[in-house]
Amino acid sequence: MDKSIKTKKSNVDVKPATPQKPGRQRKVTTLQKQKSRMGWVFISPFLIGFLVIYLPMITESIYFSFCKMKTGSSGYTLNFVGLENYKYAIFTDKDFVSNLWKSILDLLFQIPAIVIFSLFIAVLLNEKMKGRAIFRAIFFIPVIVSTGIIEQIDLQNYLAEVQMNATEISQGGMQVTSGTEIISRLEVQRYLQGMIVGNELVIYITNLVNGIYNIVNKSGVQMLIYLAGLQSISPSIYESCQIDGATAWETFWKITFPMISPMILVNTVYTVIDSFTSKSNVVMNYISKVYNTNNDGMMQATAMSWMYFLMVIVILLAIGGIISAYVFYQRRDV
Amino acid sequence: MDMPVNDKKAQKALKKQLEKEEALRRIRAQEKTPFLLRLKYKYLTWYFAKRFAWALFRFVLLFGISFIIIFPYISKIAGSIMSRDDFVDTTVKLIAKYPTFDTYKAIINDNHYFKALFNSTLLSLLCGVCQMLTAAVVGYGFSKFKFKFRNAIFYLVIFTMIVPHDTIQLSMFMKFHYFDIYGIVGGIKKLLGSAEQTPAIANLLNTFWPLAILSITGLAFKNGLYIYIMRQYFNGVPDELEEAAYVDGAGVIRTFIRIILPMSVPMLVTIFMFAFSWQWSDTFYTELFFPSKSAPLLLPKIVGVPASLDTNYAAQITYETAIRNTCGLLILAPLVIIYLFAQRTLIEGVERSGITG
Repeated sequence: MDKSIKTKKSNVDVKPATPQKPGRQRKVTTLQKQKSRMGWVFISPFLIGFLVIYLPMITESIYFSFCKMKTGSSGYTLNFVGLENYKYAIFTDKDFVSNLWKSILDLLFQIPAIVIFSLFIAVLLNEKMKGRAIFRAIFFIPVIVSTGIIEQIDLQNYLAEVQMNATEISQGGMQVTSGTEIISRLEVQRYLQGMIVGNELVIYITNLVNGIYNIVNKSGVQMLIYLAGLQSISPSIYESCQIDGATAWETFWKITFPMISPMILVNTVYTVIDSFTSKSNVVMNYISKVYNTNNDGMMQATAMSWMYFLMVIVILLAIGGIISAYVFYQRRDV
Repeated sequence: MDMPVNDKKAQKALKKQLEKEEALRRIRAQEKTPFLLRLKYKYLTWYFAKRFAWALFRFVLLFGISFIIIFPYISKIAGSIMSRDDFVDTTVKLIAKYPTFDTYKAIINDNHYFKALFNSTLLSLLCGVCQMLTAAVVGYGFSKFKFKFRNAIFYLVIFTMIVPHDTIQLSMFMKFHYFDIYGIVGGIKKLLGSAEQTPAIANLLNTFWPLAILSITGLAFKNGLYIYIMRQYFNGVPDELEEAAYVDGAGVIRTFIRIILPMSVPMLVTIFMFAFSWQWSDTFYTELFFPSKSAPLLLPKIVGVPASLDTNYAAQITYETAIRNTCGLLILAPLVIIYLFAQRTLIEGVERSGITG
């Protein structure tokens, strides 16, 4: 039955094709071509946008960083000044370089904290328990909510508070600020200094504890990515582990951790990008401050941010290289 | 010396054995075990104790962190319903003595809240839908078709994700202030002998156009991430599905619209939620593209002390802080309501996405 159908089909195919074999040959290639052409059609929104809008913007921006600008009523004029803006940023403007160092040091501490914390929470939220849906809903609030506007309002409030402390207006009443200070630094320091640990470690831990609000707020997307990864690990692996008598601790380090290591790479890269480009970043703040000063400031800010971008790329490549050497990839067909 | 110990041990073992046998006999005879015995076997075990300790630890930890997340909002809500007198009263901590909705009323009326809400809803819907569709289409193209330079072009997507938008904000501003594509329109105008010296073609600032263009082309805030997520998701969709559709005579586009899009609704909702909410509370584009006062009023711009509230007294700074926080609450309220409805789909979508390195 099967065979007869096959032969019939091939007969039907062959009959009209035999007189014009080259034509049929071309038809096969056109089908492939058509598919690849459809690929171009599908990515065309991005490609056109990139070529028409993004590329000119990038090149223009690089060009701007070598220029000084004058704006008038009839548009703007640009004067090419070479590396002056860059020289200004590195040699004349002392704040820029010190801010750069400060932000790098900050992030070297903050990134591991975010990556590890979000993994921990994702593992917890992945377990079956009562109220899981509620906890999940709460933990993802920051993803939706804490962008842009809240950061800006907090910043404004913080500035107002600084101003208040500077002018020392004494006044009663409660403080309606976000709960940033959970444990007073002194308290933690007192506990830890009883143990014999280095002072740097004490400062690091107190910073972590007081920065937990920041860390929780910044690790929403990472948590989502980890959860997606955890869901994709096949339950039968855990089952066989359990049958072999592995404890939960062993299972985590021998199964979950290697299986999720690609996600650790993704998350580290994402965290680096996110925290280097976020509004609360020291350098970003400084750049936008310079940007808003005057016309020269705009160009200087552009030059600064290009330097900053190059630095971020270098750091990304370094971190990515180090981590990807240890990432475990399960054999996949895809 | 050893004997009594051994004896005791043996006795204990014997007792246990007997107990076990008794239990087994009961089970075999389908007799009911006494209630207390059942409780004992269920709860007085090492296994249960360990699990209970872990569950307790987990609950305390999650509860604490949830508290950290929610507390700022609680304190903001508490501050928003306080009246002027509460801010100078030292006995008032979190719960107002003289609760009032004056702050809300003043912000809604003086800062034109509903106008901003309308505009923001329009803009966010536009951006959300455009970015969602673009991410789906482009992600599908990267995932399911083989063509030359595919990987190279995908690196361009990653590139747009990495370059911070602050870096190109000046040229972005210029681009949309003097909007032109490679100077083509300007060239034509010059050829036609228009008297204008400036290259000012079209000023797209203070309109929705810049964001619409960026959204359609997948260049807006974090769109590279969306494309990446969609590509990973489509990589996990088996090819046989489309092949079946092709065999049935559907074209590529029809397959995409009729089969692929409906099955990826959770992912689409996720992308839409991200795009919508990030546009909703975004300040960067709002400041960049809507600089003038005649521009459509958007939500991030309503933050400020309303004129009808007199803040010039002892607790000025805490009062103004509370007012600003109330503005933030009013901005976020619609978002939170949407989130409550969509969160189940959202989390489901992310779980199914199979994002991998």
